[in-house]
Amino acid sequence: MNKIVKALIYIFLTFMAVIYLAPLFWVIMVSFKTNAEIFTDPFALPQSFFIDNYTFAWTAGQLGAAMANSLFVCVITLILSMILGSTVSFAIGRMKWKLSGLVLVYFMMGMMIPVHCVLIPLFTRFAKIGLSNNLWGVILPYLTFSLPTTIFIMTGFFKSLPNELLESACIDGCNIYQIFVLICMPLAKTGLFVTGLMTFVANWNELLLAMVFISDDTKKTLPVSLSKFVGPYNTNYSQMFAAIVIAIIPTIIVYCIFSNQIVDGLTAGAVKE
Amino acid sequence: MEKLLKDKKAIAIFVLPAFLLFTFILFIPICQSIYYSFCDYDALTLPKFVGLKNYKNLLIDDVMKTSLKNSVFFLIYSCVTQLIMGLILAGLLTNIKAGRNFFKNVIYLPCVLSSAALGLLWMFIFSPKLGINQILAKYGMEGPLWLMDIKGFITLPMWVIAFVALWQYVGQSMMLYMAQISGISTSLYEASYIDGCSKLQSFRNITLPLIKPMVGTAMSLNAIGSLKFFDLIFNMTEGGPNHKTEVLATHLYTQGFKFFKYGYASAIGTVLLVLCLLMTFLINRAFRTDDM
Repeated sequence: MNKIVKALIYIFLTFMAVIYLAPLFWVIMVSFKTNAEIFTDPFALPQSFFIDNYTFAWTAGQLGAAMANSLFVCVITLILSMILGSTVSFAIGRMKWKLSGLVLVYFMMGMMIPVHCVLIPLFTRFAKIGLSNNLWGVILPYLTFSLPTTIFIMTGFFKSLPNELLESACIDGCNIYQIFVLICMPLAKTGLFVTGLMTFVANWNELLLAMVFISDDTKKTLPVSLSKFVGPYNTNYSQMFAAIVIAIIPTIIVYCIFSNQIVDGLTAGAVKE
Repeated sequence: MEKLLKDKKAIAIFVLPAFLLFTFILFIPICQSIYYSFCDYDALTLPKFVGLKNYKNLLIDDVMKTSLKNSVFFLIYSCVTQLIMGLILAGLLTNIKAGRNFFKNVIYLPCVLSSAALGLLWMFIFSPKLGINQILAKYGMEGPLWLMDIKGFITLPMWVIAFVALWQYVGQSMMLYMAQISGISTSLYEASYIDGCSKLQSFRNITLPLIKPMVGTAMSLNAIGSLKFFDLIFNMTEGGPNHKTEVLATHLYTQGFKFFKYGYASAIGTVLLVLCLLMTFLINRAFRTDDM
């Protein structure tokens, strides 16, 4: 390829990378400054590492509790969605029954439906049965909305397993549950891992539903608790930046470790159509 | 073997839990929501059927007009810009070797970060006295009120938010196109070079037609994503100033959970639902390939 063209491509891509990384570096840097420093010289390196922003955000801003809540909600949802999602996918992808196609369509409907449309009926119903202001009231909808993607990807995975494997297991005397748990699940590990990551990331970041369903300060999840740091009476930006960093650092770490799998998950869902 | 795979009891055990959950948390609420949209219903009263009243009110609600306008703007903007930027980035990245993974991962990174947190960050960057305007002030320029201007058919804050949304989510389209492009056999390109095609020509005549189905997939993801759009707007402007950056989702939230007008909010939700289904249908129609 022409050298000039290649150089231009790299210049453009470097420019893009700067647009992407600069705000993130900058927010980390500013989070160590005092509020006065932000107003006088926001783009210089912090004069000293001012940790108080973090301690404030973590304790007074209740981000510590919020992170525990987020973790609880996301882990439970993750485990349940893996179990429910893979059983359904196995039944649809591998077992033979007349309605399997129709049931798959029923689950896929969830991909097109925005969560906003079910907020009001769920909110009023959950209030009656004691699920409002309760983390389980958030887990159930999260689980429901993560099932379509999980089922979509996992069905493809189970379909791609070779037939001989199941047949030999059958000849060895496995029943259907043993085939599922002992033969198919270990083989579908990659798929499960990938869908699990996507479920986790999506729920970790979800704002609207958690904001509507949880009103108790001690039960709020991370994205909701962030809103405490803004508002007409709050101009303490440095604490807000510490809060932003606390909110995005866990996902950045997960992403750095698992970026390839996350990318696989995203494309597995779309390419296998 | 056949008998095992047709085991009705096992199928029921495998499918029913998720099926029931889906029915109670998604299917029944959707039906209820559509029913509520024809009702007078708020926090203190029980739903009472009133026919089309809520929808008639929607027609004369100015904020609804703004939100619908903004949502449609957002829909078109993100479909078009994500397609163009996504294709450009994917095309460039599949043509280089060194640093491909680095650039790919950096551009995709914001997709997995919390839009609530990023919204706060960008709110600060575009605030009246700080962020970008602070830099401009250093060079003696006065920056515009990025998130507070209210002039124009599509106000400046909407453009700013749309830009941030593109910044955050273009990685997803890029990634989908890259996956599809790297699946194209290299022999096709080699043949085209022998026939005297330039890089650009082969991109137009080989790559574009072959990734058409993926354009449909990526675009319907974009369309639904942009109609659902809430987090960034909520944290950057909360629909203000003077409701100028309201979209369907924020309007629904305000009406439903600030004013507790459940019936009215359900009507907005139904409009949103219809738009989502319609866009999915139209995009699938437009990008359907007959040989697939």
